[in-house]
Amino acid sequence: MQNDFELENMRQQMTTLKNKLDQQEIINDRLMRRSMRNEVNTIARRYYIIMAVGLFMIPYGYWCFVKLSGLSIFFWIVTSIFMLVCTGATFYTYRKISDPDMMNHNLVEARKKVASAKKFEANWLFFGIPAVVLWLAWFLYEVYKIHGGALDNGFFWGGCIGGIIGAICGLSINFKTQRQYQDIIDQIEDLTAEK
Amino acid sequence: MNALERQFAQTVAEHKSTIYTVCYMFSQDADEVNDLFQEVLVNLWKGFESFEHRSDLKTWVYRVALNTCISIDRKKKRRSAEVRLTMDINLFEDRDEDTRQVDMLHKRISKLQPFDRAIVLLWLENLSYEEIGQIVGISTKNVSVRLFRIREQLKNMSND
Repeated sequence: MQNDFELENMRQQMTTLKNKLDQQEIINDRLMRRSMRNEVNTIARRYYIIMAVGLFMIPYGYWCFVKLSGLSIFFWIVTSIFMLVCTGATFYTYRKISDPDMMNHNLVEARKKVASAKKFEANWLFFGIPAVVLWLAWFLYEVYKIHGGALDNGFFWGGCIGGIIGAICGLSINFKTQRQYQDIIDQIEDLTAEK
Repeated sequence: MNALERQFAQTVAEHKSTIYTVCYMFSQDADEVNDLFQEVLVNLWKGFESFEHRSDLKTWVYRVALNTCISIDRKKKRRSAEVRLTMDINLFEDRDEDTRQVDMLHKRISKLQPFDRAIVLLWLENLSYEEIGQIVGISTKNVSVRLFRIREQLKNMSND
């Protein structure tokens, strides 16, 4: 009985809220069209920026690493491949999450898609972080080869220690993200399980 | 304004209370409500052209609004919109009796986990179990089981 009273009370509170809101107008209603168009364009622009940066890094890398710094061609090739793979992975996740059709699905389906895209993003870092550490080590080695013993100092060790600390921080954040998304997936499973 | 934009503006005007209610129930302060409201409108606009009326317009609005509020990454910095679209109301600060009642509802609902929050909101809006199931993506039987649990949870809250 108490329960029914509480729920009835909540329904009345909901009606009160609706009545309050029905009296309101949306501010800047007449500017809605322009705002919406701008927001959507901003999202589309991000796709192009991600792709452009990835592609630009290939010629820029050649100029910077090979021409300017005298690093090996092989280093530039591997760096370019790595950049392209990173761009592809970022683009894939971003596209999945920003899919305009996703919000039209039911809540469980949409949440599953977001969670799987985010999990992919988190899993990707398990490859990305060690790859960046390796790349950094290789980069330092390449510079060391060119400049001889000039790196036998704080710069070299600072780079190594910074890389390791960065990797540890990145991986711990990643573990946390993984757990959060696993929680969401568990919630969905609990919700959809036939009782 | 072309026909599609006019139609969209009309849809938003018709469902503004529904959209705002969902945003409010998933927010902790006035800024967050406004951000969510803006984000929901953007997502509605993105899907408006491709909306094929296979489901009821109100059902679709609920889906987009709830999906946005559940899925949004709150840690991310909000897009700075050129024009803020919101309503001239602050349910977190107004202190009249009606707002106090609304605040009590908000406090109870915000203690529930997101999916349960969505289910109880739809139930409070007098949607049928079948409609709730379609929006959330679970069977009618699951809706009734879930609602039973939510009611128990709400009852325990009021006993605390």
